[in-house]
Amino acid sequence: MIVTITLNPAFDHLLFLPEISLGKLNRAISTLRMPGGKGINVASSLAVLGEEVVTTGFLGGQGSRTFEGSLRKIGVTTSFTYIDQEIRTDFYIIEEKENRQSLLIEEGVSIERRYLNSFKANFERLLPSAKLVEIGGSLPKGTTPDFIKELILSANKKKVKVVLNLRESILKECLDSASLFIVCPDVRETCCVFGEDLRNSASRPKAAQELLNKGAEIVILKYGDLGYFVAKKDEVWEGEVEVGGSNVIMLGVRDGLLAGFIHNYIKTNNIGEALKFGLGAALSTSRSKMNYLNSKEQAEELCLMANVRKIA
Amino acid sequence: MKKVKDFITRDLTSVMEDTPLKEVAELLSLRELIGIPVVNRENEVTGWISETDIIASIFPEKVKIENPDMIHLMNLSQVVKKLTQVGQAMVRDYMIRNVYRVKEDTPASDVVELMLHKDFKRVPVVRDKRLVGVVDRSSLSRILLEEGSID
Repeated sequence: MIVTITLNPAFDHLLFLPEISLGKLNRAISTLRMPGGKGINVASSLAVLGEEVVTTGFLGGQGSRTFEGSLRKIGVTTSFTYIDQEIRTDFYIIEEKENRQSLLIEEGVSIERRYLNSFKANFERLLPSAKLVEIGGSLPKGTTPDFIKELILSANKKKVKVVLNLRESILKECLDSASLFIVCPDVRETCCVFGEDLRNSASRPKAAQELLNKGAEIVILKYGDLGYFVAKKDEVWEGEVEVGGSNVIMLGVRDGLLAGFIHNYIKTNNIGEALKFGLGAALSTSRSKMNYLNSKEQAEELCLMANVRKIA
Repeated sequence: MKKVKDFITRDLTSVMEDTPLKEVAELLSLRELIGIPVVNRENEVTGWISETDIIASIFPEKVKIENPDMIHLMNLSQVVKKLTQVGQAMVRDYMIRNVYRVKEDTPASDVVELMLHKDFKRVPVVRDKRLVGVVDRSSLSRILLEEGSID
């Protein structure tokens, strides 16, 4: 069983319209609303790939039942800690005529200490059945990177592999002291890790090496829409695939790649194959209107289009 | 034949024996649930706690829930004393230990039997003793209606 953690989950609310006129009344042609957040997206994709997955985090408010129901419908087991607040909604405005997407993110809930204790107790009960834990997304108010560190150490104690899918500022606090299986920094806002610009091919090995030195077994770095650099102690791979088409919704695509990579790597132990399959899963996600991939079959088919090579 | 795995709700909401009773009351209220499994640190089901157990813990045994008018006859200081006690109580003090469990391959007909004849509304589902979800009357009814029969 795989456990994914999203401390600050959100409803992803997609609004489709030809173009937006700022300061005026705008009507959406269609809308989509679905459970979201990094760990949630990874869990959804893993479930579509046939993995047994439990997702956990904080949930509350009127929409929570729909939130959980949508996840269970696609095969994700839920194990949330309930709080007395409404979770956030992230708005994606998709202007089809303009081929432009804008994202508006709410800050989210504030977590009281007593809920943190309940969450941690719940998480620790999941560990005896877990083979891997993925921690993703932002931190809600009331939590600190130290809390993530506590969760990592609990998993380490039970010899459960840990995957981190977090922003650099949080990652920095969690490295060094723990054993990490995969580190995949969230670079949506900066494109940089440790000051290295990942768009520059010479910078990627430096950033990856830094993360490997700090205890990561495998490092995954994103450098384009669908370009990824994967490094392990003794091998380095790079791969990309063409996104293609217009109005492609990139929501959950990076999480799709991570889910595909995990799903394949835990079976094959082969970085090249896992990266190839991960790119197929990411491409399948980009062709879906949801924040997870369409199907395992589509990922298998699309991964054949990926250009993957060993560079060291 | 339909089995539990066809209508299980894969949700692991649960509490532990050392969870304070007031936390359970809050959880049941937030989740709009009537009862939840009690598990140990290994996520193995050890019991069940319901809203009825909590209400029964507050009022003295002589007051039956079927006769709510009796509640008004209680001495106020008695209620306050009881509420203080319950406020400090743990799940272990009021949980039901002798709880029925089903497995994912348990036939739907066995669950019908439990729900109709034992009057259970929700039953924990276990795999190797560990909680993997619950089955309840509404999901059972839905699957029965969808199929037209349990076979």
